[in-house]
Amino acid sequence: MGKTVLIVDDSNTMRKIVSRALRQAGIDFSTILEAGDGQEALGVLEANQVDVILSDINMPNMNGLEFLKAKSENPAIKDIPVVMISTETGADIIDEAKSYGAKGAIKKPFTPDLINETLGALL
Amino acid sequence: MEHAQHIIESTQEIFSSMVMLEVTPGEPFVRVDEKLVNSISGIVGLAGTTKGMLAIHMSNAAALAVTTAFLGMEVSEIDEDVRDAIGELANMLAGSLKSVLDPSGGDIKLSMPSAVYGEEYSIDCLANAQAATVPFSFDGMNFMVELQLRKDS
Repeated sequence: MGKTVLIVDDSNTMRKIVSRALRQAGIDFSTILEAGDGQEALGVLEANQVDVILSDINMPNMNGLEFLKAKSENPAIKDIPVVMISTETGADIIDEAKSYGAKGAIKKPFTPDLINETLGALL
Repeated sequence: MEHAQHIIESTQEIFSSMVMLEVTPGEPFVRVDEKLVNSISGIVGLAGTTKGMLAIHMSNAAALAVTTAFLGMEVSEIDEDVRDAIGELANMLAGSLKSVLDPSGGDIKLSMPSAVYGEEYSIDCLANAQAATVPFSFDGMNFMVELQLRKDS
């Protein structure tokens, strides 16, 4: 059975770009789910089996750090690996993301090779 | 004007790796004084120890060409996809410049990107701000990246 990825980003453009980069990276997800912010992502995780999450940080309603914190407090989903994809990759922010369980960070702009390298270790 | 080189490097990297377009920088100048006509601007605000804005200004024709290349699908009008794409380019540029201005990431906050568009408009951000603007060209079209900054003492 193929794997499922959840892409969390308020930009529809970036969700499309990340999906395309996953295909270009040769990572064969059977299902690509999308959410526009952290709150929506929690809803998607309640209703679906997800193998890995790629999440932006700077989002309205519930940002990426708030999403990570909420996810870490829910035993049913806390172990799903998350990689942050963001323009915000300063040490302070990444340290905070890792304290809530993020497994890595990819800075925008990114290349398919970088996505492959980062996700390859988690799948 | 000290940030012109950062603008050039960040813009070329983002367009090359994400939009798959090679863009050529022109001669930097201080700020965009004239009104923008039939254009769209993606804008991100900076707050914290350094305040200001990063904006990318494109003619409608350039914005359609860039969005078409960015998304890999034909776009023929200034719609939500174009506004989102130009805003996201501003977001990536601001993030890239922030990493130069604030390496630890804790001193400057970026706003959500926004887009302004119309037949004729102008944008101004801060009085007494340092400004640098770089024009770029690709395939016979042009756009500008403008940075306005004021560092609190």
